[in-house]
Amino acid sequence: MVKLPKTFKTAALILLLVLPVALSACSANNGVAQEGGSSGAAAAADPSPGASSAEASETGGELSYALVSSPDSLDPHRSGLSVSSRVIRTMFDNLVVQLPDHTIQPWLATEWTESEDGLSYIFKLRQDVKFHDGTPFNAEAVKYNFDRVIDPNTKGVSALALLSPYESSEVIDEYTIKLTLSKPSRAFLGNLSAAQLSIVSPTAAAQSGDRFGQHPVGTGPFKFVKWEDNSEIKVERNPDYNWAPALVDNKGSAYLDGIVFKIVPEDATRIGSVQSGQALAAESVPPQNVAALKSDPKFKLLQANTIGLPYTLFINQNREPWNELQARQALQYGIDAGTIVKTLYQGTYEQAWSALTPGMFGYDASLENSIKPDADKADSLLERLGWIKGPDGIRQKDGKRLTLRYVVTSPNREKRNDIAVIVQQQLKKIGIEVEVVVTKDIRTEIFVNDNYDVFGNSDVSGDPSWLSVYYHTAPKGAIGNMSHVSAPELDRWLEQGAVEKDDGRRAELYRNVQQYIRDNAVMVPIYVFPYTVATSRSVENLKFDPLGFPLFNDVRLTK
Amino acid sequence: MRERLNLNIMLGKRELRPYRTGGLRPRSYNVLLIAAAAAIAWFAGCAIAPDWLAPYPPTEMSSDSLMQPPSWAHPFGTDYFGRDVLSLVVYGSRDSLFIGVASILIGGLAGGAIGAISGYIGGLTDAVFMRAVDVLMTIPGVLLALAVASALGPSLFNMVAAVSLGTIPGFARLMRGQTLGIKNRPYIVASRSVGVTRFGIYWKHVLPNSLSPLVVMATLGIGGSILTGSGLSFLGVGVLKEIPDWGELLSQGRSYLTVAWWICTFPGLAIALLVLSVNVIGDWLRDRLDPRRRGEAN
Repeated sequence: MVKLPKTFKTAALILLLVLPVALSACSANNGVAQEGGSSGAAAAADPSPGASSAEASETGGELSYALVSSPDSLDPHRSGLSVSSRVIRTMFDNLVVQLPDHTIQPWLATEWTESEDGLSYIFKLRQDVKFHDGTPFNAEAVKYNFDRVIDPNTKGVSALALLSPYESSEVIDEYTIKLTLSKPSRAFLGNLSAAQLSIVSPTAAAQSGDRFGQHPVGTGPFKFVKWEDNSEIKVERNPDYNWAPALVDNKGSAYLDGIVFKIVPEDATRIGSVQSGQALAAESVPPQNVAALKSDPKFKLLQANTIGLPYTLFINQNREPWNELQARQALQYGIDAGTIVKTLYQGTYEQAWSALTPGMFGYDASLENSIKPDADKADSLLERLGWIKGPDGIRQKDGKRLTLRYVVTSPNREKRNDIAVIVQQQLKKIGIEVEVVVTKDIRTEIFVNDNYDVFGNSDVSGDPSWLSVYYHTAPKGAIGNMSHVSAPELDRWLEQGAVEKDDGRRAELYRNVQQYIRDNAVMVPIYVFPYTVATSRSVENLKFDPLGFPLFNDVRLTK
Repeated sequence: MRERLNLNIMLGKRELRPYRTGGLRPRSYNVLLIAAAAAIAWFAGCAIAPDWLAPYPPTEMSSDSLMQPPSWAHPFGTDYFGRDVLSLVVYGSRDSLFIGVASILIGGLAGGAIGAISGYIGGLTDAVFMRAVDVLMTIPGVLLALAVASALGPSLFNMVAAVSLGTIPGFARLMRGQTLGIKNRPYIVASRSVGVTRFGIYWKHVLPNSLSPLVVMATLGIGGSILTGSGLSFLGVGVLKEIPDWGELLSQGRSYLTVAWWICTFPGLAIALLVLSVNVIGDWLRDRLDPRRRGEAN
């Protein structure tokens, strides 16, 4: 008897079993580790359509903006994640601002002079600026900030690297400050425009101590309201704001009442939230959704190419056989980045060719198309090293199989893990067995245990001297040089490039660096990341700074 | 001698009769059961000889045929690498089935043994084992599996260990209850009184009579384990294998749902179909094996 109801019961049981799995999956990607100081974007030009047509727009309204991941901290000096910078930018200002043409313009500083030997800078500061908590902005505040960055207790990584070679500062009068460097640096002034070197309120920073990242106080166009962990961050308009940089038209307080940053790691959900009207904007549009959004008149798609370091597969030279040039060259010929970019990003991302991205000072365009994937060349290189294909197609030498440990991170940002899946197949053809390992703990796997043959990373930067972090000889366990390359000439070029005053000579030094990296197969460049944002039609004048971080000063919502 | 024989027949072995004599009758065949058996047979075939059933090698990528909808050449369409989804589903069955069956075997054996020892010996042993099981029970199965899988690191065997650990408490509780219920029955007392050893009683009377619910639970549990296993790889705790299992396919395909529904729909259907089939078989087994339901099933 009762056969049918039982089947229904079974079906219901399955549904019950499937549902929690599906639901928990939706939230499981929240709050997972992000790789340090990576990714991001940069706009060479303002991609928003015409800064005019304000007549239909109105002041006010709240903009909801969906982010891929949660910031780790909103303390500019402590965080290195680009997602943090996007939020930090709304609440903080810098001394100077860098424009898309690489020039440095005033922001909180009105003017400055560099000493003849390049070892000190004198900044004149704006006199009408107040922090959100009422603390006046002055030379003391600036001194407090930079001393805070180099204080070991702050434990800042990105900020510290950007501020070096800063040594000390001296308050000359209330609105004049002198910064002293230990050695000259061409990148120093530009670095002062980075989000990580934003000026924080000294009162609030001293009061909150380590908890300042949860209670940020700056001078920016928006004030911090609340942060619900892994859910949303809310900021509201700073009515007193009157010191916006040259990147935006509206120098006064923002038109928006506030911004809610929602954290939505799931690609489909994030883009769906804009399509359904739950959010007005969402960042990082997956390539498969780009075409549909572009053709839909209800939405806008904004895109800005990045400058900095492209997404690069670093080859670990500490491990055999990758310490040998020919083995690394085999990877260079075996990995077909063109196919990867074409397959996964369907023409929305550009293929990278060098250690720098196009648009960066010193970028060497002659490297483009200079290496073509060539499986035969890769095969002969490996054979010359004595790696002979075994019965299963995997090369062997002295009874050892040729395997490559390829570490990727979770979640699968920008389809980086899918790149690993393709590389696995491409290298199988030349007889290399790729083991793809997913980890959430990059720090341990990469920097502590050094347990990888290939690891990919990208970085945002406005100056080529940032290459030193990745390619200058580094002490063991240092964060940055993931290929462990160590070459005297490379070090020399990088050191000279950091101080060289002649732009032509400086560009040549960085071209040497890029060519050395290509010739010695230090890494394999894959793609240049464009920062993409999908917005509802009603969002107007969303702009981006040269590093691709969104600027909300000019944004209006039309009805 | 005669007395003991009688006791055995009258009290002990009689309860074994249902599954000895209750053969399959034509009436208990039904369409659903046959379909379920056929589905399981097909998946088993996929797991054993995927290269015969899959039209393409599962890792063959082609940037010329990305995300193509189902067609004659690709009945389940192609994914974002240009791989054939049908071939992926066929090859993916191996890991899913292996995780489902292996983890239930391990969990069932371990849990059953713990339950049997606790229930039969009783006293301090019982208390210790059951408190341990209680502790395990307080942690939700998926969460436990997730924790174990992340702690041990990604590999197929760790995944089996993780999933099976979560199934142990259920089996242990069930087996203990069965054993307790049977060991105080009059025929056991009678056996003891005529001098059968403790182990002899257990082996001849208690174990056979307590096994059938365990078998049913194990069958029904396979479905659950396949789901947990898929869930784990869906959450990205699994290994990033060259040939992904169903959970991974589902997880990777979900961000393409709006542009290429077939990438994760077919692996999802495969999971649903396999779990449904296993449960239908489990239901049927329960009817067959449960003496109290004998009347219903006939």
